[in-house]
Amino acid sequence: MSYGGAAPLHQSSQSDIDEIENLINDSVRFGPATILPARPPSSPRASIPVSSSPFVPSALHPLPSSNKKPLPHFAVPSFSAGPSPQGIATDGLGPPTNTLTEPIWDTVKRDLTRIATNLRLVVFPNPNREDPGKALRDWDLWGPFFFIVFLGLVLSWSASVKKSEVFAVAFAVLAAGAIILTLNVLLLGGHIIFFQSLSLLGYCLFPLDIGALICLLGSNVIIKMMVVLVTFSWSSWAAYPFMSTAVSSRRKALALYPVFLMYISIGCLIIAVD
Amino acid sequence: MDRLQPPRENYANPKTCFFHVFFKAAALAFYILSALFFNSFVIIFVVTVLLAALDFWVVKNVSGRILVGLRWWNEINEQGESVWKFECLDQESLARVNKKDSWLFWWTLYLTAVAWIFLGIFSLIRFQADYLLVVGVCLSLSIANIVGFTKCRKDAKKQIQQFASQTIASRFSSTLQSAFSVV
Repeated sequence: MSYGGAAPLHQSSQSDIDEIENLINDSVRFGPATILPARPPSSPRASIPVSSSPFVPSALHPLPSSNKKPLPHFAVPSFSAGPSPQGIATDGLGPPTNTLTEPIWDTVKRDLTRIATNLRLVVFPNPNREDPGKALRDWDLWGPFFFIVFLGLVLSWSASVKKSEVFAVAFAVLAAGAIILTLNVLLLGGHIIFFQSLSLLGYCLFPLDIGALICLLGSNVIIKMMVVLVTFSWSSWAAYPFMSTAVSSRRKALALYPVFLMYISIGCLIIAVD
Repeated sequence: MDRLQPPRENYANPKTCFFHVFFKAAALAFYILSALFFNSFVIIFVVTVLLAALDFWVVKNVSGRILVGLRWWNEINEQGESVWKFECLDQESLARVNKKDSWLFWWTLYLTAVAWIFLGIFSLIRFQADYLLVVGVCLSLSIANIVGFTKCRKDAKKQIQQFASQTIASRFSSTLQSAFSVV
């Protein structure tokens, strides 16, 4: 049945839905680095009845701690019938709910949540430790950046002379050390992703940060040694599962020894800084 | 600098453009001028690198999306492999992107990297290894953004072409269908 102008519009929209579906299926099948066009809700196709499309317009906001999976992000803006204002934002701070033009506070909150989640997964006991690949899937480098800078600042503050050099040395050793340790694992034939490992080694610095802060406040050498010992073993315990499962069991010691060495030297630096 | 004053045709997102330029300029200015005021390398390092990191975040998450409609990120999929994902607005929205906005976006991106390279050469000539560290960090952040967005734009163009040709093909076939169904 055809009604004047309504049927052709519906037909072409229907075929557009089909071709969008095909695009998604193709892009998912053909793997990495594909572009997924996202449409803003201002598109006239937003009025298509939901029953004809497989996408559910339920989640208008991305979940804070989940991966940014491309499929829901693609689907939601096309067919969302939600109360989002029309049109792309002309002002950067009050945009409609769209993945590409989401409110900036959402992005900030999502990143902060991700840092907290990663910290919790790496450093504190949790049931996911047996499957390390899954635990730090959502790596980020903000946490490590803050921890390295914080450690450098604390060490530099505790030092009474040569403050700048202490900071520069601490930062360079930690950054270069993380990169070299990752290369070490890769060269040993291990299966680890570069940035994931950098992120992990950075997050494992958190206990040493706490140790350095406590040592800054106290001054007795014995107490410092105890604190550094405790925090060093905590850091090593945190780093152990990820590093050891990345390489074959014969080479586990070869991969783990440099990590312990780096943390021990940072611990000695914390004790020795005066 | 002319870029910051509103010209005859307006920028569509003046606040975003301002922040896009602000953090870059602040990092460069602080690095260059701080030698006059501060003796402490630590402060220079921390503030410059912090500003550069904030700039990286702003460009990647905010101004990239709003000014040119592109976004890139890295994911680790089920098999444990690292996958780079790119996302862009559809063609109508991309065509609607303000020309001045995108001109500003790309040019400041490239110019900042060039500026950091110059500063790196200066500190290399003066044999200041610690300042070279600062420049190295800021430069790698700029280059990461440039590479990410350039790849994203190339993929966006390719995808749009594909999409356009598919749309034309399917519209053609659906027109044919409707023509025959009416008959």
